[in-house]
Amino acid sequence: MVQKHFTVVNAQGFHMRPATDFANAMSKFGCSVVIKHNGRDVDGKSLMNIIASCIKVGNEIDVICDGEGENEALAKAAEMIESGFGE
Amino acid sequence: MRITDLLKAEGIKIGAEVADKAAAIDTLISLHEACGNLNDVAAFKEGILNRESQSTTAIGMEVAIPHAKSEAVKTPALTAITVPEGVDYDSPDKNPCKLLFMIAATTDGDVHLEVLARMMQMLMDTDFTDKLKAAKTPEEFLALIDEKETEKFPEEAVKAEPAKKEGYRVLAVTACPTGIAHTYMAAEALNKAGEKMGITIKVETDGSGGAKNVLTKKEIEECDGIIIAADKNVEMARFNGKPVVKAPVADGIHKPEELIEKVLAGAPVYHSNETDTSADFGDNESFGRKIYKHLMNGVSHMLPFVVGGGVLIAIGFLIDTILGNATVNGAANGSFGFTSFAASIPFWIGKIAFGMMLPILSGYIAMSIADRPGLLPGMLGGMIAANGYTLKSMFEAQNLVGDSSAVSGFLGALLAGFIAGIIVNLIKKAFNWLPKAMDGIKPVFIYPLLGSFLVGVVMCVINPAIGLLNSAVSNGLTSLGTTSKLVLSIVLAGMMAIDMGGPFNKAAYVFGTAAIADGNTWIMAAVMIGGMVPPIAIALSTTFNKKKWTAEEIKSGPVNYLMGLCFITEGAIPYAASDPIRVIPSCIVGSAVAGALTSIFNVTCPAPHGGIFTFIVCGNPWLYVVALIGGSVAGALMLALLKKPANK
Repeated sequence: MVQKHFTVVNAQGFHMRPATDFANAMSKFGCSVVIKHNGRDVDGKSLMNIIASCIKVGNEIDVICDGEGENEALAKAAEMIESGFGE
Repeated sequence: MRITDLLKAEGIKIGAEVADKAAAIDTLISLHEACGNLNDVAAFKEGILNRESQSTTAIGMEVAIPHAKSEAVKTPALTAITVPEGVDYDSPDKNPCKLLFMIAATTDGDVHLEVLARMMQMLMDTDFTDKLKAAKTPEEFLALIDEKETEKFPEEAVKAEPAKKEGYRVLAVTACPTGIAHTYMAAEALNKAGEKMGITIKVETDGSGGAKNVLTKKEIEECDGIIIAADKNVEMARFNGKPVVKAPVADGIHKPEELIEKVLAGAPVYHSNETDTSADFGDNESFGRKIYKHLMNGVSHMLPFVVGGGVLIAIGFLIDTILGNATVNGAANGSFGFTSFAASIPFWIGKIAFGMMLPILSGYIAMSIADRPGLLPGMLGGMIAANGYTLKSMFEAQNLVGDSSAVSGFLGALLAGFIAGIIVNLIKKAFNWLPKAMDGIKPVFIYPLLGSFLVGVVMCVINPAIGLLNSAVSNGLTSLGTTSKLVLSIVLAGMMAIDMGGPFNKAAYVFGTAAIADGNTWIMAAVMIGGMVPPIAIALSTTFNKKKWTAEEIKSGPVNYLMGLCFITEGAIPYAASDPIRVIPSCIVGSAVAGALTSIFNVTCPAPHGGIFTFIVCGNPWLYVVALIGGSVAGALMLALLKKPANK
């Protein structure tokens, strides 16, 4: 299991497009992806769950990947979040 | 932000027939247009299509949420359609979409993200989406969402309002001289501005109908700052230590937002100088300091009554002396000071001012403790202390006449002030449970009613206890008799200084006047000088030992020479009240010394009042003057020894 702490940098937070991209990207990996936000575990592969958790700019989140390809998944997640989803 | 705040029945189309994605989008946009949510339809559509071109907004489960954040949006809003046949919306699960929402978001704020999140939380429940898809009318659709939203977020239905009420960031007081229109217009403007800016605000209106929506002590403590939009004086002492912005009432009406910004930006901290002690009381006042502050509020308000009344009485004595009324056929004149017409007018006006002295003292002590609601019960308590009312005198007398032996005097009034303040504060606590809507009647009905009744009863019970003390002292004096002239003179003179109008003073004075009738005029000499020394001793101290007194006390000091010479002991009360523990013993010592000297010098005095003006009828008048000087100097020296430097 690997995990990393992030602060959301893009102004709009995990709105629909970033959430869609994130969920799509994570779904390609075999491991489980969990976003810890505001004390709750959010399925990082579910667009609806991500959006429902309302992750805004400046929020502190942890991404936890566990299983096959966990390192690659976390690297990809980090790349997306830290780049602000290209926004 | 609730979904139901954003989605209206006119923005919903049930059973839309749309051939493809483009038609679905057009339908949703036309609903927005019909609801008047858009500034620029073409620009908004461009935003929607632009977003779709990045990736589809279909989220699976037969749901799509096209959205755009755009300058073209006038007000944030939602529209929705159900498509029973389904429409191909490039969904990730390849299924056609049957339920579509379109979010129109303004470029400011997080509405967009919050609405999305909220909708997702609700839409994850497939039972719910099935019901929505099956809805027959826009109203049914809306009702389903409302029900779901209330179920999902129950806390906000209950919480949204009370959360605001827990405390206010900004407090305000509005007032105008007439108190009819501007006061309330300013209050309304401030409330609206606060709501618009998302700042919790409470506005007290000091109108002609009394203060409404009165700010509580707790609210004042917890707020960030206070706005005073008023063209007349408002109660400021309660805002001591808080940031305060002062402005004309017109600014409250026309520039409410500016005022709120100003107070939040950090206004200068207000320091109450109402107590006139020039002392700067911090937030963390010690118990002793609090007591001192309350005491000084009473004393500083009482001072003009004492000075004004005292000087008027002295003028009465002076006029009667000039007109030759100091003596009647060579003997003492019992109605000296008010024998002639010219003397009686200032004399009795002065007495009326004196009559208000103790109620003012206790009233303002109580007001300092319990704010304005304390004033009435405090004054009432002081009145009862000054007149010696008891439960018995109320019940038995046909016309209310106090029991002169039960007058608790200025010490009783001090006590009444503190008792009233504490009682009113307790009443305030006891009525905390009343609904907010009832707040208006508390200060105009509940506090005055209960406060005065309770304080009145308590003081009527305290007075008889004073009466018992009085008769005990009188009996003691009688049994002391005239066995030792020196001891009796010392005791009587000292007693005059103990409470300056209270039971000890009264007992001694009555003993003295009774002795005149018996022919023991040396007793009255000791009594009168005992009452003359305290004001003069204090006057000497304020003249030669300025560091012990506040600026205000020094200013009114010279008047005390006059009052002392006229046997108006009350002149010493404001000074004694501000620091009883040190001032009273000093006065007692001074008076006792003077009493001893009159006894040694064999002075006699046949007049019951009049002070220095009666010395011409006294035996050994020049030695009487020496005794007076000796006692006063002794008192002033005691003050120098005991009193601490004033808080300046």
